[in-house]
Amino acid sequence: MNDAIIISIVMTVVGAATPILLAALGELIVEKSGVLNLGVEGMMLIGAVTGFAVTSVTGVPMIGVFCAMIAATCAALLFGYLTLTLSSNQVATGLALTIFGIGLSSLAGEGYVGKTIDIYASVFPAGLAEHSFFRVIFGYSPIVYFSFFMTFMVAWFLKRTRAGLILRAVGESAGSAHSIGYSVVGVRYAAVAFGGAMAGVGGCYYSMVLTPMWAEELTAGRGWIALALVVFAAWRPGRLLLGAYLFGAVMTFELHAKAAGFSLVAPEFLAAMPYIATIVVLALISLRKSAGAKAPACLAQPFKAST
Amino acid sequence: MLIELTKRKEPSRQMLYLTPVIAVVLTMITGGIIFTLLGYNGAGAVWEIFIKPVINPEKWQDLGVKAAPLILIGVGLSIGFRANVWNIGAEGQYVVGGLAGTGVALLTWEMEGWWILPLMCVGGFIGGAAYAAIPAFLRTKLKVNEILSSLMLTYVSVQLLYYLMRGPWKDPEGFNFPQTRLFNDSQILPTLTEDTIIHMGVPLAFLIALVAWFVMSKTVFGFQVRVVGAAPHAARYGGFDENRTIWLALLMGGGLAGLAGTFEAAGPFGQMVPQFPTGYGFTAIIVAFLGRLHPLGIIGGGLILAISYVGGEGAQTSIGLPNAATGIFQAMMLFFLLATDILINYRLKIGEASAEAAQ
Repeated sequence: MNDAIIISIVMTVVGAATPILLAALGELIVEKSGVLNLGVEGMMLIGAVTGFAVTSVTGVPMIGVFCAMIAATCAALLFGYLTLTLSSNQVATGLALTIFGIGLSSLAGEGYVGKTIDIYASVFPAGLAEHSFFRVIFGYSPIVYFSFFMTFMVAWFLKRTRAGLILRAVGESAGSAHSIGYSVVGVRYAAVAFGGAMAGVGGCYYSMVLTPMWAEELTAGRGWIALALVVFAAWRPGRLLLGAYLFGAVMTFELHAKAAGFSLVAPEFLAAMPYIATIVVLALISLRKSAGAKAPACLAQPFKAST
Repeated sequence: MLIELTKRKEPSRQMLYLTPVIAVVLTMITGGIIFTLLGYNGAGAVWEIFIKPVINPEKWQDLGVKAAPLILIGVGLSIGFRANVWNIGAEGQYVVGGLAGTGVALLTWEMEGWWILPLMCVGGFIGGAAYAAIPAFLRTKLKVNEILSSLMLTYVSVQLLYYLMRGPWKDPEGFNFPQTRLFNDSQILPTLTEDTIIHMGVPLAFLIALVAWFVMSKTVFGFQVRVVGAAPHAARYGGFDENRTIWLALLMGGGLAGLAGTFEAAGPFGQMVPQFPTGYGFTAIIVAFLGRLHPLGIIGGGLILAISYVGGEGAQTSIGLPNAATGIFQAMMLFFLLATDILINYRLKIGEASAEAAQ
């Protein structure tokens, strides 16, 4: 294998890992606050279609990404209103959000199916971003660097800030956090909104950078893989980064196997690989009995302050 | 205007049964407004989707055929949901069940006899149950969350379907189309009368829902499922095995979804095609909730969702409403149902009419 092939493999892995990393970072914060939002797939789709539509109308990718974040945050706040204010069942509400997101995104994207957008956005000068070797470091969309930055920020926020401590307290012991005067519902609203914004960016990465086009159910279950990733990472941002790139490698295996003329197994089996790998990984990590693998104690339990 | 929520002394049974109706009405009103704002004929959309299939007798047969798989899968899922087992991969179990029934049909394609159809149905049930056994095993032995595992398996099942259609199960005389042979007369579910599309699977689905009602409300198994879901500690104290309940809930859910798959393959499809997965497994989640996880309610929920499917198809041709609109209406129903759930435990007060409540 020559350098060019290795470089292209690395770049596709980065492409596959980035959106699930972003969505999983958002969900990590949501779950740390004690809320389980199963609507990641739906929010990603809403972000994907919004980013694509806005960019193809305005021609400005920045506005597209921004609107994708806003739209997915609105969807997340709808989830928040139902689960936090009206104390509805989180599992059912998250599912409803995904079904809603699939429907809404296909409706909104109807006029955009099959169209493509041509955007060129790079943070580095063309000499580096298109260099035959250095593009492996500099040749990505700004969203990729943003995902690294956010991994660091989330880790720092949870470990080193007072707000992060409060967030964890709300997720581990909502009753205690409430009794010392913190607004459990307020903190959870903020976390859910953040989760929405991150899913929105992750979603629009598919439609604006990776493909770049719009098709119905473009994310093809990647939102669910992001959810699995949070479990895999045992709610730790550092491991989340590692996991995202592992999953990215599995997801792109199909692509590279095809390119290399690998035909021992059916292409359908390769297409099913990421999902099978997710199940296998979930089974494997449950065998490991480390204390770090514990979910936030209040996960998916509704909280209603008795007045 | 002041809206105030006060906690009820005990959950309202009235509201438990009234809120699904409120949710459907709110969906019609809000959906109509939203689609008007989006530039569609909103009132027309509501009329076409919710009213027309009900008042047009020509559509009633379609309603039965669409409702049957939704009811079967919904009843199966409700057993799990009651026990706090979140099997959301019914779509995958439906596909694998359909494939298992098709497998029996392909093995017997040169044979005739009354025994072939029952064998296909048994195959479908076992196929779906076996596919649901994977998340059951992972949950009970390895504590893997069944939400994620059952959903991942849905994506795997679709690839399995594509593989079989493109490869081993392709009709050798089918001009290379990725689909199986047509089922023969012993393999197709007979219709009730000559001039109807209602196949035997439809009355069977209703019958199975009634049997499920009996099992869930009158047997120890039903009691066990309800206790494990509502009070896991009490269940353990009372000697009910939680793992056994998880297994049974998933096997029943998967089996009924698989049976629904075989009914669809041997009924409306009459063969297996790549377009087989149509999202019934996901819509059945809405059906189960709308029916309050009660088999009789699920019959009603299945009919309501069937109305939205049939109406949605009609609205595509009559007023040019996009296909995706049906999904949005269906999701809105679930949203409103979950939102109005609060009325079961809380009393809603609007304005300052609190004087009588204070008494």
